[in-house]
Amino acid sequence: MVAGGVIIRVRRGGAADDPEERHQTYAIAPRPRMTVLDALTAIQSELDPSLGFRYSCRVGMCGTCALRVNGRPRWACRTLIEGLGESVTLEPLVNFPVLRDLAVDMTPFLDKMSRARAWAEPTEAAASAPVELSPDSRQRVRIDPHIECITCGICYSACGMAAHDPDFLGPAALNRAYTLVCDSRDAAGGERLAEVADEHGIWRCHSQFNCTEACPKGISPATAIQALKRRAAASGAKSFVASIIGGLAPGG
Amino acid sequence: MAFQSGPSASSPPARPSFWDISAWRAMYPGMWAWVIQRLSAVVLLVLFPFHVVNPYIAWLRAVVLALVILHGMHGLKVILTDFGFPARHQRKLLWVLTAFGVAVFFWLGYLRKAYWGFF
Repeated sequence: MVAGGVIIRVRRGGAADDPEERHQTYAIAPRPRMTVLDALTAIQSELDPSLGFRYSCRVGMCGTCALRVNGRPRWACRTLIEGLGESVTLEPLVNFPVLRDLAVDMTPFLDKMSRARAWAEPTEAAASAPVELSPDSRQRVRIDPHIECITCGICYSACGMAAHDPDFLGPAALNRAYTLVCDSRDAAGGERLAEVADEHGIWRCHSQFNCTEACPKGISPATAIQALKRRAAASGAKSFVASIIGGLAPGG
Repeated sequence: MAFQSGPSASSPPARPSFWDISAWRAMYPGMWAWVIQRLSAVVLLVLFPFHVVNPYIAWLRAVVLALVILHGMHGLKVILTDFGFPARHQRKLLWVLTAFGVAVFFWLGYLRKAYWGFF
């Protein structure tokens, strides 16, 4: 081993075309301010061109390089080697199928975005002309802390319930649904709320808060899910009361 | 060379085994609180009948009360976050409630002599 060097232990395999899981170790000499991503590119260019991992922007904007560093999901590009110890274990995110070594298939995660209708469906007014939401309006204040998600999948990897229930929509999709449910410019609010309020949606969240702890953008998907739960409960209570009143009304 | 296509839809998501210690390192305090609350419920289910049959076993009394307080404090945390306590501050809430639970346990032990000199 290089003096002052670091051992990088990478989990490989586990993919459909390379099922045998194994750990491979590489010794590197870290440079000052070297990130995990720098270490991986150094390994790939100097030691082992067959190592598979994925990245794009290198500066914490795209979320492509998410993996597990010493067990915890993090971005490779924003995690310094310094301070991680003499041996650093790198593994792919959990709750995703492995494509190759450290690169995972995001398809199931993105499919859940679709299931949560993670796109704006503007009201007629919003579709025909820009509608302003004042920065200090209640809606804006509710939505703002939840809009910075870059769908890196870290919250989904950290989530214990996503591991337990493969159909669970997961923190990112529900966080996105919340920003739309809160927005008066969106026409699908009620329907979207009804769609995410089932056993594989908000009610599957057991308040473990791993998503909030792990999110590198400082978003708290758990806050969004709790707020959706309150909205769903209020809407359920309203329709229950309405059905009783309807039943009592003459001819009801 | 053509790019290889992704895995088939049937390819299972990666999930570490129960015995994989590295996976447990990914747990944050909120998750531990959740696990401890579930485990305390299971242990209480076993111990509580013994306490009902003979409430004068000092150590059992202390253990049952400790577990009830632990379970209750964590339950309170979930209820508070359900009703609007911001989840991003849940870790602080966890420490405050845990400290409060420990204080209640020793208050009952020392000042109320609830465990008949077990300590």
